[in-house]
Amino acid sequence: MWKCCTVINKRTNQRKRILLDCTSHNGSERGTFRVRRISSLYESRSEHGERGSNGALHRRAHFLNMRHRLAEMTGRPMRVVGWYHSHPHITVWPSHVDVRTQAMYQMMDQGFVGLIFSCFIEDKNTKTGRVLYTCFQSVQAQKGSEYERIEIPIHVVPHEAIGKVCLESAVELPRILCQEEQDTYRRIHSLTHLDPITKIHNGSVFTKNLCSQMSAISGPLLQWLEDRLEQNKQSIIKLQKEKEQLTQELASL
Amino acid sequence: YPMTIRGTDSVFVCFLNEGFLLGEVRQEETLSISDSHIGSSEFLNVIEVHNHEPCAQLFSFYDYAGNVNEENLNRILKDRRKNVIGWYRFRRNTQQQMSFREQVIHKQLTHILGIPDLVFLLFSFISTANSSTHALEYVLFRPNRNRYNQRISLSIPNLGNTSQQEYKVSSVPNTSKNYASVIKEHGTEFFDKDGVMKDIRAIFQVYSALQERVQAVCCEVDQSERVREKIQEEVNKLKEEIALRKRNSAEEERRLQEAAAVTLPDNSALPDSSHSSLTRVMLSGPSVEPSLERPVNSSSPPVYSTTLPPDSPSAILLPRPQAVGSPGHPSPSLGLGNGDGSSSDSLNRQATGQEDQEDDDDEDSSEYENLVSEQLQPPSLSETVTLGRPATLWPDGDAHSPPGS
Repeated sequence: MWKCCTVINKRTNQRKRILLDCTSHNGSERGTFRVRRISSLYESRSEHGERGSNGALHRRAHFLNMRHRLAEMTGRPMRVVGWYHSHPHITVWPSHVDVRTQAMYQMMDQGFVGLIFSCFIEDKNTKTGRVLYTCFQSVQAQKGSEYERIEIPIHVVPHEAIGKVCLESAVELPRILCQEEQDTYRRIHSLTHLDPITKIHNGSVFTKNLCSQMSAISGPLLQWLEDRLEQNKQSIIKLQKEKEQLTQELASL
Repeated sequence: YPMTIRGTDSVFVCFLNEGFLLGEVRQEETLSISDSHIGSSEFLNVIEVHNHEPCAQLFSFYDYAGNVNEENLNRILKDRRKNVIGWYRFRRNTQQQMSFREQVIHKQLTHILGIPDLVFLLFSFISTANSSTHALEYVLFRPNRNRYNQRISLSIPNLGNTSQQEYKVSSVPNTSKNYASVIKEHGTEFFDKDGVMKDIRAIFQVYSALQERVQAVCCEVDQSERVREKIQEEVNKLKEEIALRKRNSAEEERRLQEAAAVTLPDNSALPDSSHSSLTRVMLSGPSVEPSLERPVNSSSPPVYSTTLPPDSPSAILLPRPQAVGSPGHPSPSLGLGNGDGSSSDSLNRQATGQEDQEDDDDEDSSEYENLVSEQLQPPSLSETVTLGRPATLWPDGDAHSPPGS
């Protein structure tokens, strides 16, 4: 997954809620374990009301919609098997709210999993930075009606090449961030009682935020894409040479 | 000596094993004015990483003894040599310190490149015993006079405080008519005829153009990934074919030799029938037809299947080889403890051995090859992935959630 998907850059104080759409392989269900195979990540914007039990119907409709869109994109039957979100600057463990939300999802689908990515973590003492991810589900606690987390093993399947869906996820991120900014600004802009100075201030906030997005996300992303393209071109040249040599060698055998 | 790393570059560096960091070093002056003193300026040395130059494989510019080959170094760096400010390495399940070989290499690089303050960025990847939690760690070393454990702080710019709480939903109340008229008259400059701020349209155009370019380059990258994948597959097939042919011809030669050795005693008695005995061997020997089919036990490295084999799910569910802790059972001390995910202890940082040994084998997810080949593990290991197993660790207190999340 490190090769295929970005670790998403995040705002300092907000946690981005992103839904995960995947193919599911339940055919190996035997004994006490199942395997879920995650093949792609699909970002969606933070949506209020998704958390808590009230969001259940909303979530179901949303998943169905995503499932159809992804099936079109990938040409394969898809289903939603989990969700993921980020914890910038904070511990990777799910909060009580996260655990409860996961429990709600499990009511729809027992095998639903949750992933959390934690980043921008630095231990000041050892000057070590970390990026972490964890996989979990929820179970009813022994006493009381609260839920608690259980750990689910997660393995990353290595790939040499980066998948199309992963690349598109990466490129989708700045689009989502910009869309959220526009939506907020539009709401503010519709307030009519603001004086010109306040309107100019708000417009500047929008400009400033978009500039931050471009320099912190779009710019580095573009740089990385260009570098990757160059590396691939070099690799292709080397591989072509190797292919010719091997073809000659095979012919001589 | 703070250092900054730009954007997402560092995250993608991690799977390229090793390479060089390119950037610049500069001084930044910060002025501070406070009541306690009139004014003071501080000079900070800032190392900025702009880019990286990956090496295609390990040992591409040095040998096993750590001797750096300047010619190979120049071939990798080309004209970017003058931009080098450091180098990086990626390791799994090892200690966060420079190995002896790395120290030797580092010292030579400082001399060859003429950079006394060369930095070394070490990435490592560790996991909990039950593989539910994984971490990519990074430490930046700035060795100084044979002291190779000096670490410096690395700052990665985040999106920053783009909190949407900066928007104002109300104006500061003001009854001054002068104020109202001045800001109305001059403020109109900022707005177009639709009442939309001109700046908004302008910046949005910049953003759109940039996003379009990102999308376009992304398509090119996607195409190049497919081409590369395809040629790599063809190269792999050719290698397999060559290996197979060599194996078959070696087999055939061996059989012929064995057959010749068996019939040799007969030939010694009848020297003029050697030809016919050879003929006899050829007729009676097993028919050796070179098989073009892929042998069952191919010597090529096991491919991590993209679809789960229906009868061996345990191949994928085996825990990765861990530095410490029994591989099949969740360690009671797992987890990252300390509330902010910063404790390195709880992710079991003890190394299995010397870094050098690991490095020689550590290429391209060797632990996954281990997983696939260990398909006959006892079924008791399945308990590591049994759903419903209660968590052995609950982090102290709640995660620090921002309000309203």
